[in-house]
Formats: sequence, structure tokens, C-alpha cells
Amino acid sequence: MTQWVRYTLPAVAIMSVASPGYAMQYLSIEEAQKQAFPSATHFTEMQAGRVWKAEAGGHVAGFFIFDRVVGKHLYIDYAVALTPTGAVHSVEILQYRESYGGEVRSPSWLAQFVGKTSASALKINGDIRNIAGATLSSTHVTEGVKRVLAAYGNRLR
Amino acid sequence: MATASDKLRRARPLLGTFVEIEVAGADKFVMNTVIDAAFEAVASVHGLMSFHEPDSDVSRLNREASIRPVSVHAWTYQVLEAAVEMHRRSSGMFDIAVAPKLQAMGLLPRLGEDTPIDTEARPFDAIEMLEGQRVRFRQAGVRIDLGGIAKGFAVDRALAVLRGSGAAGGLVNAGGDLAAFGEEPQTVHIRHPRDPRRSICSVEVSDEALASTARRFDLFQSAETAISAIIHPASFKSPQLIDGTAVRASSCMIADALTKIVMIAGTDAIGLLEQYDASALLISTNGDIQITPDWHHAVYLAA
Repeated sequence: MTQWVRYTLPAVAIMSVASPGYAMQYLSIEEAQKQAFPSATHFTEMQAGRVWKAEAGGHVAGFFIFDRVVGKHLYIDYAVALTPTGAVHSVEILQYRESYGGEVRSPSWLAQFVGKTSASALKINGDIRNIAGATLSSTHVTEGVKRVLAAYGNRLR
Repeated sequence: MATASDKLRRARPLLGTFVEIEVAGADKFVMNTVIDAAFEAVASVHGLMSFHEPDSDVSRLNREASIRPVSVHAWTYQVLEAAVEMHRRSSGMFDIAVAPKLQAMGLLPRLGEDTPIDTEARPFDAIEMLEGQRVRFRQAGVRIDLGGIAKGFAVDRALAVLRGSGAAGGLVNAGGDLAAFGEEPQTVHIRHPRDPRRSICSVEVSDEALASTARRFDLFQSAETAISAIIHPASFKSPQLIDGTAVRASSCMIADALTKIVMIAGTDAIGLLEQYDASALLISTNGDIQITPDWHHAVYLAA
């Protein structure tokens, strides 16, 4: 039977990889809108930067709500697409960031992401695209979706 | 970081984590449609195999399979077959019927009309696989939880959708359980369980799967999380000597299940890893990192 081999973690690798954060950009708001409502011909902004009505041929196709959750180390932009009757159609993550420097809750750290699109995405450890060894809990997003539903589910119909 | 024009990567909150799906080498509209279908496959697996959803196959089995044979979806049957086989080959170390213990420990909820938690000994072959995709439990009080294997299966199903689309390549990553196909290998960074800022190494993944599991590592609760959802079926204790592991195998379902065995058995898991043609990296609590010899060829220094 074969044996295990000791793997020595190179000190230089630890130093070079240690970084304050990791980020991933998936979709811009516009891309996510098209993805959620492919048939929509027009998106009307109902609340600046936050709520849009999707319309297709004069009919309401649904609503698109942009939201953001801040966790201990995580900062996540996501979008909830609602059906015309106010039910969740889909939830899509737009941007994902994590940080271990404690700056997630600082307003100035958050401010740098406002208005970012895929074209102007901030680069944090941009060469790292796939991470294993960590199961990230999506609890904060799930709670966020509940808040979005509570706030808009009935009101937008 | 921004995806190249011939690639599309999206993420959704599914399976209690973030599921990322990337597809390459197709028209953007096609890639979007394919990714939608792959997310659908993940959601279907969740719907069939969730312990929490009352209408899932798993919940129906837990309610009825000790009374009468229960028909399940082909996917559920496939996962149960793999789980039963893994249970047999690991001499009981991989055990989907530890749910009552996890309920007793507060790691799984008790369900509405569930009977009192039964943590009594059960027969080794408590799950009977019958013809016609039917399943029966040989004893009352058996409760199963597919949390140790279904996520990997969901990754396999989503990847199958991407492959079937004719795209040039693709990747599915469900919170560290991932699989990829295509000519261009995907570089995956494996994090240190004790310090997520550190990458232990990077691995090239193409046409195979990699699953990872760690003890006491949760981005939201990091250091305070002392309890692991992985317990030894005989002692019901959390493993103490292993901080984390990553397993490479041809299917993510097998890789996912094998991570649980490595967490419990540590280096003793090598025989089973060989049986499944899998390789592994494990991190002991004392900081030692060990790899199986066949792991090394694809390891690149984290720099």
C-alpha cells in the first residue's frame, strides 16, 4: 500500500498569498436584469439604484431588487427577481468580497464599491478565481432575501 | 477578475452555500441558458435530498421507509446506492444514518411530527435497496441525512448539464466542492482551515472533481465554531486530529463522501482512497500537511 507524503508549506508562499481579501465579480446589475427577465423590453427604475420594474410588451414581467448584505468578513451584492405577484423568481449573486482586516463594516471601505460595474471592478487578489477548503454559509443572503420580500413582496404588486 | 468575453460565471445561493457555475466557449445567450439549466439541476438535487424540506425524498424516506418500501427519484436512488456502498467499504465509517445522533447533538433539527430521537444501535445494513427504485429501512427509528454526499452529487449533475450543452469547458463550485471539464484546466486555491487568508497550495483541475471539508472553519463564525458536523459513527465524537482535507476523484459525489472519511480516519483512509482511485491532502491539527503520492503531480506552490 502506498504511503502519505509530508508536504512542506513553503514560507514564501504563505507570505505572498496572505492578503486582506478575495473578490469575485459575476454580473453587473444590467446583466442580471437581462438574465432574470430575458423577455423584458424595458426596466423602469422605481427606487434609485435599488428597485426596477421589468416590462415586456406593456405587461409587467416582474420586479428586480438590488440589495447588499454585510457579514463578519463578507460583503455581498445580490439581486432578487420577483414575479408580478411578488414571489421570488430567482436570487443571483452579483459581487462577492471577503476581507479579514475588519474593514467590512467601515463605511469608507464599503463606499469604494458603490457604483462598481463589471467593467470597473475593483481587483483584490484578482488571480484567484477558485477557492476550495471553505464552505461559505449563504445564511446572510437568505436572511436578506426575506427582508427584501418583507419590504417589497406586497408593496410592488 | 472580470470574465473574458467567451466565458460566463454566475453564482446563486443554493445548498446552504454559494454555488458558482462557469461555462466557456459558447454564445453569451446560450451560456446564460446553460447556466440556468445547471442551477436548476442543483436546485432539483436540493429539493430531492434536503433533510429540512418536508416533501423531499429524504423526508419521505425518514417518515415512511421503516414502515413500507418508498419509491424515490432515480437521482436519490443513485446517491443512496453510492452511500450504502461507501458505508460497506469503509466498515461503517461513512454513515448516512447518523441523523438521529446529529439531531440529538442539535446539528440537525427535529422535524415536526418526528418521533423521539432514537440513538439506539441499528443493524449495519439498515438501508435496503429494492428493485424499481424503492428503498426500505430495516428498523424503525432509522433516519438518514445525505448532507455528506448530496452536495457533491449536485455538482456532478450541474457539470453534466454543462458538458451536455456542447460548451468547450465549465466549472461548478459549491462552496469548495467542485468539478471542472474542458481543455483549459482550472486553478483552484486550497485554503488553510485555520487561516483562510493563507492558501496551502493551488491545484489544477480538469475533467475531475475536488471536494474539501474542514473542521472549525466558518467565515462567519471562524474561531468560535468548535463543533463539527462530522462525527464518528461508533464514538459519535467529532474528529480531533484532522483540521481539514481535500480529496480529488473522478466524481464530486465520491470526493465529497471521501472527505468525511478522511476527517474521521485520517491517514488510515489511504486504502479506501486507493479503492476509489482518489488522492488527498490532509491537514493535521498540529499543522502537518500530508498528501497521497499521486496528489503531487498537480500541486503547484501557492506563489
